Amino acid sequence: MLAVGGLNTHYGRAHILQDMAFEVSAGEAMVLLGRNGAGKSTAMKSIIGLVRPTSGRILFGGRDIAGEAPHRIARSGLGYVPEDRRVFADLTVMENLEVGRQPAREGLHPWTPARLFELFPNLGRMRDRPGGRMSGGEQQMLTIARTLMGNPRLVLLDEPSEGLAPVIVQAMAEAILALKAEGLTILLAEQNSHFAEGIADRATVVEKGRAVWSGTMAALRANDAVRAQYLAL
Amino acid sequence: MSSILPQLLTGLATASSLFLISAGLTIIFGVSRIVNFSHGSLMMLGAYIGWSILTRLPREPEWFALGVLATALATAIIGVVLEMAVLRRVYRSPELFQLLATFGVVLIIQDVTLLLWGPTELPLPRPRWLRGFVEVAGSRFPLYDLVLIAIGPLVLGLLWLALNRTRWGTLVRAATLDREMVAALGVDQRRLFTSVFALGAGLAGLGGALSLPNASANLGIDLSVIADAFVVVVVGGLGSLPGAFLASVLIGVLQAFGIVLVPKITLVLVFLVMAVVLVFRPNGLLGRPQTEAREATVAAPVVRPAPPALRLLGAVTLALAVAAPFIVGGYYLTVLTDACVAILFATSLHFMMGPGGMASFGHAAWFGIGAYAAGLLLHWAGAPMPLGLLAAPVAAGLVSGLFGLFVVRLSGVYLAMLTLAFAQIAWAVSFQWVEVTGGDNGLLGVWPPDWARDPRLYYWMALALSVGVALLLRRALYAPYGYALRAARDSTPRARAIGLDVEGLRMVALVIAGAACGLGGAIFAYGKGGVFPTYISIPHSVEALLMVLLGGLQTVAGPIVGALVYTGLADILVRSTDLWRLVLGAVIVVLVVAFPEGIAGAVRRLWLRGREA
Amino acid sequence: MSVLSVQGLGKSFGGVQAVSGVSFSVAPGEMLALIGPNGAGKSTLFNMVGGQLQPDAGSVTLGGATISGLGPRAVARQGVGRTFQITATFGSMTVRENVQMALLSHRREIWCFWRSVAERFGAEADALLAQVGLEAQAERATGVLAYGDLKRLELAVALGNAPRLLLMDEPTAGMAPAERVALMQLTRRLATERGIAVLFTEHDMDVVFDVADRILVLDRGALIAEGDGPAIRANPAVRAVYLGTDAGSH
Repeated sequence: MLAVGGLNTHYGRAHILQDMAFEVSAGEAMVLLGRNGAGKSTAMKSIIGLVRPTSGRILFGGRDIAGEAPHRIARSGLGYVPEDRRVFADLTVMENLEVGRQPAREGLHPWTPARLFELFPNLGRMRDRPGGRMSGGEQQMLTIARTLMGNPRLVLLDEPSEGLAPVIVQAMAEAILALKAEGLTILLAEQNSHFAEGIADRATVVEKGRAVWSGTMAALRANDAVRAQYLAL
Repeated sequence: MSSILPQLLTGLATASSLFLISAGLTIIFGVSRIVNFSHGSLMMLGAYIGWSILTRLPREPEWFALGVLATALATAIIGVVLEMAVLRRVYRSPELFQLLATFGVVLIIQDVTLLLWGPTELPLPRPRWLRGFVEVAGSRFPLYDLVLIAIGPLVLGLLWLALNRTRWGTLVRAATLDREMVAALGVDQRRLFTSVFALGAGLAGLGGALSLPNASANLGIDLSVIADAFVVVVVGGLGSLPGAFLASVLIGVLQAFGIVLVPKITLVLVFLVMAVVLVFRPNGLLGRPQTEAREATVAAPVVRPAPPALRLLGAVTLALAVAAPFIVGGYYLTVLTDACVAILFATSLHFMMGPGGMASFGHAAWFGIGAYAAGLLLHWAGAPMPLGLLAAPVAAGLVSGLFGLFVVRLSGVYLAMLTLAFAQIAWAVSFQWVEVTGGDNGLLGVWPPDWARDPRLYYWMALALSVGVALLLRRALYAPYGYALRAARDSTPRARAIGLDVEGLRMVALVIAGAACGLGGAIFAYGKGGVFPTYISIPHSVEALLMVLLGGLQTVAGPIVGALVYTGLADILVRSTDLWRLVLGAVIVVLVVAFPEGIAGAVRRLWLRGREA
Repeated sequence: MSVLSVQGLGKSFGGVQAVSGVSFSVAPGEMLALIGPNGAGKSTLFNMVGGQLQPDAGSVTLGGATISGLGPRAVARQGVGRTFQITATFGSMTVRENVQMALLSHRREIWCFWRSVAERFGAEADALLAQVGLEAQAERATGVLAYGDLKRLELAVALGNAPRLLLMDEPTAGMAPAERVALMQLTRRLATERGIAVLFTEHDMDVVFDVADRILVLDRGALIAEGDGPAIRANPAVRAVYLGTDAGSH
């Protein structure tokens, strides 16, 4: 469904992504694992178009979207959940969802606020609360719900567990698994391999802007060398 | 007592006009984070276009309304063109360059308006109904002012509905908070921005057309209106629509009563109100703290002392400058003296703006205060030049310190807007207080004493003073004070956490910059033999900015190079064309659009590319 | 004798009680962790100790002297060092100059307009950099430092003020697991050597249980538990609001 190949991205003179390559198949959950600064977030931002890659291919549903404007990429069915949540603090829960709303997509059961409140019951109880007056965990749920309002086929989740209390992280994992069960394709970026284990089918390990290892989660669990060298575990 | 109600109504009518102009400014700022300098120019265009339309229409009220709406629409379309041609290309540029680009637009619109409509002001012939009066509390009150009073709240209500009850409004409010995220959710920001800009421009046009029955279309509207609008927006809180309304009412009513009670100092009164509001509410009446724009900002490079080759170059240049009177004479010696003044003008601005991180759009205020201090002392007390040269920096430093008391805690955009508003007020005082300043005619006969009359001697004195001050400023920047000032700019929370007095550091930088600039003003005044309100004009302030930005913010030598280059270029330009505003404006816009990361940044990038290849 | 003593501290924003009736103290050389769900009031509490916020009720004393009510600068002058969640360094200076600034400020030499900074406290700055293992990077710009090195630079800058109390707001956020533990063990060593009291917030429970001498748990603005690692881990209230069911399994 998503195939990234030979992707290079620069920030000024810094060469962040260096020939990054990985694939995500329809219906699976894939995780980009790596330490802070390895290039996971930049990879996510390059895919959604917030950062313009210098070269390389990003095939989404067979079409090269590299270098397109973010709103066009989003409308083509890619959802992006940023790492620091970025809910609209002055807007209510309902208004936040409205910003994310896009037309229904062929072959997908369209998301509505009512359906999202079944997935995240907390949000349903605070429809008129401004995003800025919610706890970190509630904001994380809102930012995922907001992205789902765009009826994406694939969602990029950038470190959904970062900075959250362990008890919230558990709830988050359950919600993401529910989405996966609905058939949503997921690309996750994480440092927390413990969190990723419960969700992902496959992993790509990222180090200094390159994909250095790729395989199933089971194979990663068994590979102590990779875990020690790149994940500092 | 019977005059209170009519005065109040007059004030409310003024408030409506103020609100129309500041509403557009504040909405555009909210979404694009651009302080649109050319907003006053859009209102001016509205007045001229409105004049052209209304004088061709029948004179009944319904045709008047139609003409006003047509004007708003026409201005909105101009706004769309402006957004697509200029602003869209600078959304990612540093704040200062955005301001500069919109100022380029101000200059262009000035000359274009002059070309199209001519220099004379154009009053609208008022039909009978526009001259009507109604009885209010026993006195006659103009009917049209009542219409204006109604329009303000009406527009506020419509805008509120549009922003809070439509999808477009929800998207606009979201983009105000985080425009990148809005794009990542599938919203086309470019169309959103263009629509917001069109709305803001349309409101400015509406304001321009509606101002016609009480005033006229003239070329002074742009800068006088933008200064008023800045004050309103800052007092109300940047980006807050209800705040802009509240501030408009406050300032409108205050002006109306001020004119009756203390006619001479109405402008100063407005500034005092602003100062009081900002002391108690630094973000304006209904504003909130400005968060940093959500875009990656490039950290300033590490400052290191100049390499030996550059020092040698500087020494050679200085030697040439000292020898100049033996090589050139007459006219060019005057230009060189101007260049010395320009060095003071630019290095002083750089001091507060580069290491201090406080941008100013009103640096000419200190220049003018210095010049007037010297001129007034000579004119009214017969004080000799040395005393004048001493009094100028003291006066400018004192006033900038006073100004600093109110603004030192403010963030960049607020500060830039307030410096402009303050300079505009200083200009108005020098212009209107004819008894003391001579008004437009200025103070004449401000000549140096006989011993310094020789242009060569005067040039050497100017050179010694400007180079001396520039070296002192440089010394301070490499001393602990200069580092601490830079530290406060780099990271305010960190600076506070290690015990630095951030406000104190900034305050001293303002005083030093004001004093050095004031000295430049006095040298200029004695060199030209007079002091005029144009010394304080906004275009003059922008010259200082151009010099600093030409040379680059991050080097100590930058402003000196910029001052020399700019003085040379301006000399050539002014001598070769009448349309210098148009040319200068176009050059500014093209430079900012072509080098969105700044001229110094572009040079740096090209230099690095050359080394990598 | 404790370095920091907090008594009955409270703060509300627009009618919402963010922190209420919080009391605790920290001894010299002690590492005290403050944990709790997002929005529990940790940042508010932290900012009241650091002087960024003024409390509505209660007091903060440092070595017996009241510091609540003072601004952040005055609090810093009393000997409180601080690191930030998002690293804050002086980007236009070298690593050494960053530390020199802290030293110049501590020695009250900021208001000097003549003497060159290059001649002031260079050796002392290098000594501090050596303590955090950054001596080889003294000449580099802070903008090019790796994330973990920036965190260590912040530590060195905080030490430049010779603090009695060090406030660290999520010091290891965004670091790899192994780096996290290394940074906090470095902090632990410096705190012991210099007798500095350390108060820190943290989300990584491995780090908390590894280095903290004592742990405070905050929920809805109030302290719900206080104790050492095993006690906190076993506390049912803490498990319910914060740790969840798999506490300590990784």
